[in-house]
Amino acid sequence: MKLSITLLGFFCFFSANAQDDSTFNSQLDEVVVTATRSERKLSNVAVPTSIIQGKRIAQSGSLRLNDILGEQTGLFITESFGKGLQMQGLSADYTLILLNGEPLIGRMGGVIDLSRIAVGNIRKIEIVKGPSSSLYGSEALAGVINIITDQPAADRLSASIRYGRFNTLDASVNGSIKRGKFSASGFVNSNSSEGYTLLPGSVQKTVEPFWRFTNQFQAAYDFSDKTKLSASLRYNLEDITNSITVQNLGQNIVSAGSEVNKDLNFNPVLSHQISSRIKTQFRGYISRFQSVQQLDVKDAVVSYHDEFNQQFYRIENQTDLVFSDKFNMNVGGGYIHEGVSSNRYDSLSTQRSNNIGYAFVQTEWLPVERLSIIGGMRFDANQAYASVLSPKLALRYRITEKMSFTGSVGRGFKAPDFRQLYLNFTNVAAGSYSVFGSLVAQDEIKVLVANNQIDNLTPSFYKLADLSPETSTGINVGFHYNPVQSLSFKLNAFRNDIDNLILTDVIAFKKNGGQIFSYLNISRALTQGLEAEANWKKGSLDLTAGYQFLLTADKDVLDDINEGKVFTRDLETGISRRITRSEYAGLPNRSKHMANLRIFYEWKNTGWFATARAIWRSKWGTTDIDGNGVINREDEFAPGFVQLNLSAGKNLRNGLRLMAGVDNVFNYKDVVNLPGQPGYNWYLTVGYDFMNKHKH
Amino acid sequence: MKTTMKGIALVMFSVLLVTACSKDDNNNAVQPLNELRATDIIADTIIGFSATGQPFGSGKFTFFSLENNRVVPSSDSNSNKWDIGFRGTTIITNSGVSGPGNGGGFVQVGTFEDLKTIAADSVFRTDLSPSNLAIPAGSNRAWFVYNPLANLVTPIPGRVLVIRTALGKFAKVEILNYYKGGVTPLATASDDDKIRKQRYYTFRFMVQPDGSKKLSN
Repeated sequence: MKLSITLLGFFCFFSANAQDDSTFNSQLDEVVVTATRSERKLSNVAVPTSIIQGKRIAQSGSLRLNDILGEQTGLFITESFGKGLQMQGLSADYTLILLNGEPLIGRMGGVIDLSRIAVGNIRKIEIVKGPSSSLYGSEALAGVINIITDQPAADRLSASIRYGRFNTLDASVNGSIKRGKFSASGFVNSNSSEGYTLLPGSVQKTVEPFWRFTNQFQAAYDFSDKTKLSASLRYNLEDITNSITVQNLGQNIVSAGSEVNKDLNFNPVLSHQISSRIKTQFRGYISRFQSVQQLDVKDAVVSYHDEFNQQFYRIENQTDLVFSDKFNMNVGGGYIHEGVSSNRYDSLSTQRSNNIGYAFVQTEWLPVERLSIIGGMRFDANQAYASVLSPKLALRYRITEKMSFTGSVGRGFKAPDFRQLYLNFTNVAAGSYSVFGSLVAQDEIKVLVANNQIDNLTPSFYKLADLSPETSTGINVGFHYNPVQSLSFKLNAFRNDIDNLILTDVIAFKKNGGQIFSYLNISRALTQGLEAEANWKKGSLDLTAGYQFLLTADKDVLDDINEGKVFTRDLETGISRRITRSEYAGLPNRSKHMANLRIFYEWKNTGWFATARAIWRSKWGTTDIDGNGVINREDEFAPGFVQLNLSAGKNLRNGLRLMAGVDNVFNYKDVVNLPGQPGYNWYLTVGYDFMNKHKH
Repeated sequence: MKTTMKGIALVMFSVLLVTACSKDDNNNAVQPLNELRATDIIADTIIGFSATGQPFGSGKFTFFSLENNRVVPSSDSNSNKWDIGFRGTTIITNSGVSGPGNGGGFVQVGTFEDLKTIAADSVFRTDLSPSNLAIPAGSNRAWFVYNPLANLVTPIPGRVLVIRTALGKFAKVEILNYYKGGVTPLATASDDDKIRKQRYYTFRFMVQPDGSKKLSN
């Protein structure tokens, strides 16, 4: 432990870019780091991996991470506790979000709000699907998103400003400088909006006015070709106006204030090429997150103050060993200290903490030229919970020059977090609902029952128990086909079997109508499906079509259905009957079908570009209305929809960039089920490159 | 008046089905049981709103005789003439604190048709107190679930109320709907519409007059 602190202090002076600096021409030559924690050509990776290039992010007019991820095949943006990411049918809690290889913290309700992340300086985003806990530990059940920012390179400076509907103003300055062995870069972004109201005449806005401010700086020093240091610093501020009006016993209770979220990340990296066969990298990481909600309740003496503080400290080494052309290995290990304090638990002065030590190893073996086999495992020794071993095996077989097969099987896990165990939160301002961690729920309910405040307990109350870590086994089988250079097809079948899945559920109703939630291990669930993507690149055209078929289920519900314990009512006659397997829609908020079509076109030598991106989502289950415990009735679904986003722009030779776009051209709205969708959204962007003028 | 004769056609149909399907019928020289249906049984409809906006009714139960398939006047509340009573979502049995009868009941998970004979070891609950009834009151506890977002009461499918009548006979009841005309308003309907149409029960039931626990033909 002392050693780690010493090392950490040492690294604080330096930095490095863990990512590659390689350039690439066609998609097949692209290099990814997330799939194996080492640089690999995309065409050699054995797990489902895709890349979003920074250029496409800019052309799509994306401002925040959710904007661009929501347009990708098989990904869906959820709207509970901010913008979350659903991958392979798993909730946002189960995808690890990395920034240059380091995990982002500050999950609220289990969700990293993707709108906290500006995308103006992102070089590329790597998406790896399937469990990756063998490399990354907790949270990597559904997959990993790794955001890789621009690395300091040549001297450049650019600025851009965008204005759009709802008084949305987004301004960025992005620059870098290189002097010999030293390079540095900076990115500053301000993003604000006045919000919007979906229900005319309502006192409270659907989305309140907000301001987000992102600062990101990196510096790197190359001691030699072999030894590099870098450090990155990111500070993110989010200030959301809060004005909440709730009805309690026929009276309006008005409260006003703000919610302020702060992110701080500091990441020094030292990498050294010991020999042609051995490379080692030391990484330090400090991350702090704070969320403060301050509300002044009208006519109340005491104001409402809600505070959440999280700290995450990590020290890590990874060493890559090349034994031969056919055999290489990555070994690593690290130590994590994390802590949380919140008035939502006991009090701000009570610090709950956890320490994790871990080690991982991964080997890649190429027994024959066409075949590569990757095996890895990671061991996490957790102070608060049982240790977890996460193995993974993957292989890639090149059938012909144009065809290849991939297959992988791995384990993923997510330890119960502090919130799920200790949360003790009652929101008096908004509907008087409560959320209790599983370790405190029963005692809290007892107190409320004694005070005669409970109207009734739901069946879920009787299922409350100590939480276990959630674990999953994921299988991915893929097929890749490139009949000609310009055309590629990807097919991937997946299945995830999740044990001890933790979900929130209503455990009781209060007499004032407020609901009480707690966390439960829904013992077993499954998600399975098929993902297909076709890409055609021809000259100026880049066209991608994607589709995901998804089935999900609570396995206990499946058993109950098979045993004839689940019923539905014929809406015509009102008569109850047994439900069939095919009527069960699975887990809520999952669409059986999702598809997208993305067209990017660049006119040669003119600087003009245009894009059209359409996403379709079939109907999805919302809530069980008739109390049979499953989603099956037509009125328990939200309707499917199509969203079309358009953009076009021109990069002038004098460095000026102009762009305009309309998101959600069809103005699709669903007030009940999609509060985060305000309808159509237009914008205009002007940018200027001060140094590197555009070449056409 | 409160019950309809719509059930007759259904009963005739059931009889036909039973005679066609059941080979054991000749062994039991009993009358075929009738499945009856009661519609729009008013259960203390809302008459006003409190100062805090809570709707309220007159507070009186509507009493119903399963054996005689009719509503019993309130004046007979302290008698064995009724078997179950309705007030809002609360259902009482003629037992314990609710009435002088030998009634009781419990909720069984399953379909109405599947409940052919009440299990011999079944325990009939009685109304011990207004908050401890044979048929538990409250959402998601017995026969209905209340959705606060949609402001609608929905009978849970696959819940059968197994009832012991005031005179100790056995019956089964399935609540089919809680709204006027047996039609639940749409979730998008106005609150006024939802309040005006609620507390009208539609249910089907079957009584075994011979005192046995057999509830099928």
